[in-house]
Amino acid sequence: MASVNGALARALLRLFAVQGSYNYERLLGVGVGVAEEPLLRDLGDPKYRPAVARGAHFFNAHPYLIGLAVGAAARAEHDGARPDQIERLREALCGPLGSLGDRLVWAGWLPFLSGLTLAGVALGAGWIAVAVFLIVYNIGHVALRWWALKAGWTHGARVSIALHHPVLQKALALLGPAMAFAVGAALPLTAAYLSAPFDSWARVALAIVAALSFLALRLRGDRINGLRLSLALSAVALVVALIWP
Amino acid sequence: MNLPAEVLIALIVWGTLVGVDLVSLPQMMIARPLVAGTVAGAILGDIPTGLKLGVVFELLQYDILPVGAVRYPEYGPATVAAVATAHASAGVLGLGLGALVGLVTGLLGGVTINVLRRVNSRIVHAAASELEAGDPNALVRVHVGGLLRDALRAAVVTVVGLVLAWLARPLLGGVLTVRGAVLLAVAVVATALAAGAAGTLRLVGRGPTLAWFAAGLGGGIVATLWLR
Repeated sequence: MASVNGALARALLRLFAVQGSYNYERLLGVGVGVAEEPLLRDLGDPKYRPAVARGAHFFNAHPYLIGLAVGAAARAEHDGARPDQIERLREALCGPLGSLGDRLVWAGWLPFLSGLTLAGVALGAGWIAVAVFLIVYNIGHVALRWWALKAGWTHGARVSIALHHPVLQKALALLGPAMAFAVGAALPLTAAYLSAPFDSWARVALAIVAALSFLALRLRGDRINGLRLSLALSAVALVVALIWP
Repeated sequence: MNLPAEVLIALIVWGTLVGVDLVSLPQMMIARPLVAGTVAGAILGDIPTGLKLGVVFELLQYDILPVGAVRYPEYGPATVAAVATAHASAGVLGLGLGALVGLVTGLLGGVTINVLRRVNSRIVHAAASELEAGDPNALVRVHVGGLLRDALRAAVVTVVGLVLAWLARPLLGGVLTVRGAVLLAVAVVATALAAGAAGTLRLVGRGPTLAWFAAGLGGGIVATLWLR
């Protein structure tokens, strides 16, 4: 038992670096193999090396939930599942883990807390709001990574059970509206915070340029992004400033 | 921008950590501009400037949804460079110049991420036979190599950003009038707000969540007017 817990702890630590060798050939595969390796050590010869090789094959999913695949694949190796079953299990997990993680974290937990922090900074909470963001975000982050690895190891090939955990479903249902409300509230507060040093003419200009930029991003989001638009408008502002001093 | 050596080193170290955090290790969100900017401001003894630039780039970050193998700008080290620029130029001039340096650095950072992934692909391809043999040492070597290359990449992006910060004040600060500085700041802040709103609406979609966004927006407007 102690050795399993030790191996799970090592796998968890390695999961924090699962994207360290991100590449276009295997995407996260190498990192997944590295994270899974401690859980495969006690397989012994001749199972160990083929299992390590399988672990490093192509894989892509949300980084915080990859532990589910790592734990499940390692458990399936221990349970004596056939290689083709393990490969199919890994393939089957890519899509759901990616989709769930993206909705839960990138489109939920992260922008929700970021929106609250933006509002907090705009309201004068300063660096304390940022510190609270970092602490609260990472409580959820680390808990999700640990839960995913444990659930994968517990359920093995039947890991899809874990994806229907009621807490996950509840979190998905709550985080979308919470994120939308928090960022919606943060936008006007942030606009006021950033425009505080501007004169009245500059505030009017800000409102007009922001509205036109918003329309451009909404209507031609396939061609332009915030960075390109911002650089282009900055260049225009610089030219105007130089010829109209 | 003339900074003491220890401050410069601290900024490079922080920018490198922030750059590595974005993807490789440990993704604890010190790469978020709000965090990167605040700590950069603390290093420079100027937290308010760090917060302000952090807010600008945090809004731009909403434009990015890092799903799959999507390519995106890198705003962490960019925010560090932006704060260093703004710290050297007070007020609205600092905001505009800082954001401009940050935008260029963010663009460069995004390009280097793509280059790094291509380099990693070649190295993984070259090590395919060892990986297929299940050699754990080869696996760890390839992986740690990727991590170290990302750290080097992040350090280079931060240094380039700080060089741009050093150049910005003499090249642009001297020729910009107050009105010019305000125009530049308006352009950057306006697009950041637009990117924040457009990016959030992409996440929200047209479903029932849109009503929550509208409610939040309304509440935010009321709070803003009430606090004036």
